[in-house]
Amino acid sequence: MTVTRSASDLGADPVTRAGAPARARRRREHPFLARIAVFAAVLVVWELVRLTGIVPAGLVPSPLDVLGALPGVLGGAALWQELGATLSGALEGFAASLVVGVPLGLLIGRSKLAERSTRLVFDFVRSFPTIALLPVLLLLFGATTLMKSIVVFLACVWPVLLQTMYGCMRLDPAVEDTVRAYLIPRRLVYWRVILPNAVPFIATGVRLAATTSVLVAIAVEVLASVDGLGRAITDAQTGDATPTAYVYIFLGGVLGYLINKGAHAAERRLLRWRPPASGE
Amino acid sequence: MTMRQRFLTFARAALVQLWLPVVLIAAWWIASSSSTSFYFPPLSAILADLWQGLTGGDLLSATGYSLRNLLLGLLVALVAGVAVGVLLGLNKAVEAATRPMLDYARAVPHVAFVPVIIVALGLGWLPKVLLIALGCVWPILLNTVDGVRGISPQVLECTRAYRIPLRLVVRRVVLPACAPQAFAGLRVALQVGMVMLIVSEMYGSTTGIGFFVLQSGENYAVTDTWAGTVLIGGLGYLLSLVLLAAEQLSLGWYFQRQPARRRGAVRVPSTERAVAS
Repeated sequence: MTVTRSASDLGADPVTRAGAPARARRRREHPFLARIAVFAAVLVVWELVRLTGIVPAGLVPSPLDVLGALPGVLGGAALWQELGATLSGALEGFAASLVVGVPLGLLIGRSKLAERSTRLVFDFVRSFPTIALLPVLLLLFGATTLMKSIVVFLACVWPVLLQTMYGCMRLDPAVEDTVRAYLIPRRLVYWRVILPNAVPFIATGVRLAATTSVLVAIAVEVLASVDGLGRAITDAQTGDATPTAYVYIFLGGVLGYLINKGAHAAERRLLRWRPPASGE
Repeated sequence: MTMRQRFLTFARAALVQLWLPVVLIAAWWIASSSSTSFYFPPLSAILADLWQGLTGGDLLSATGYSLRNLLLGLLVALVAGVAVGVLLGLNKAVEAATRPMLDYARAVPHVAFVPVIIVALGLGWLPKVLLIALGCVWPILLNTVDGVRGISPQVLECTRAYRIPLRLVVRRVVLPACAPQAFAGLRVALQVGMVMLIVSEMYGSTTGIGFFVLQSGENYAVTDTWAGTVLIGGLGYLLSLVLLAAEQLSLGWYFQRQPARRRGAVRVPSTERAVAS
């Protein structure tokens, strides 16, 4: 299957090299007008659904109302405070997860015994929804920004740790044999073979953790009324200002989108020397 | 390998994988056994509380309520995600036109919809199923699109050349081809769904496991809170195991045969598969 696919890719190559067909191809892959049309269609359907009245008024505001609420939110000082609160909590937990997750993953990933011993524990923790710890952490730390950072840390540390571990484990057997056959010193192997091999996997873990961190921070703010975007959404909705709540949600989406794209771009730039690892 | 050798290999593997969980649980048990701390009740008390809640108390019905909502939401997300995913995967122009919207929709923090939907629709089960489906549909949809796009163009051209009806193509070619990817999406969706379930129940509910842990915490019934948290952990683990088993069962052809010779009965030895996965 792989053979036939790469053959078809080769067949497509000459087309991209030529000038005009390349432009046509780009237009086919990034159809600007069509994308705007899709966006407009979504807005129209949204408004039509609202006009039929089959959904409660508090659930779906008019897109025009949401647009009207946008300048007020963007102009106010509150947005930047909430955004700062969400980002600082997310960033603290994220940074802590890197500090703990990467070294631990490097350590465990190098020992078959350690990897097998921790497998069941990690399988369990990985499937645990971290936000369920919120009541326990609320009891221990109260509704504070520290508690928010701790929840973010607990959610982010697993992707980082597990990806780092995988990166250490998935060494090409041929490389491993070569290293052993030439009796290359352990330290050198670590710095020159194992770490470079693990870096793309670690990058994937870091990207996953980055997107998770903001999500978890917002979830904590919604539930525990800690300062941030999440609480702003709750306050707006309970205060009967649904359009404002939607503005905050859309801005949250922009934030998530930017973080995801930014992490992808950083990964590509930093790892230009090799293709990105799979393992998501 | 004789029976005895095989048993020894198995026993050693079990020992290596089990010692740490056993040690951790034992350490928790011993460290907390004489605990008088309000926040850290003895593990024995937590487990007794859990058992009592599951056999006599209202924990069992709360868990049933949560599980039903989770499964309903996942089902809705699966059907919608695969249907739309196949549609987009087969139609390049539509996929290219909707791609930025989809990328954005996936990036929206879906937990942010919890207050909006629950305040508008109330505390019943329907808004929760809606929220779970809303969070779960994106990984399934995007993975299905990738799976369909991964089908070799020659295969699709072949079905066109033989004028095989579209329904048959979708059922016999497209769906089996994107099933492994869709399953990977479903695995992500399960985790998203658990989070949506718990957040929506903690935000506004009158029953359910998320409501149970938050409520008991607010009433300072700390043992109940720990018991519910342990139960959520067990449930999450169990569900991911069930999904894994379902995947192995329904996609056995994908995992057991080598892609190059699907028709041959060549099986990858089970040990190698374990390493590869």
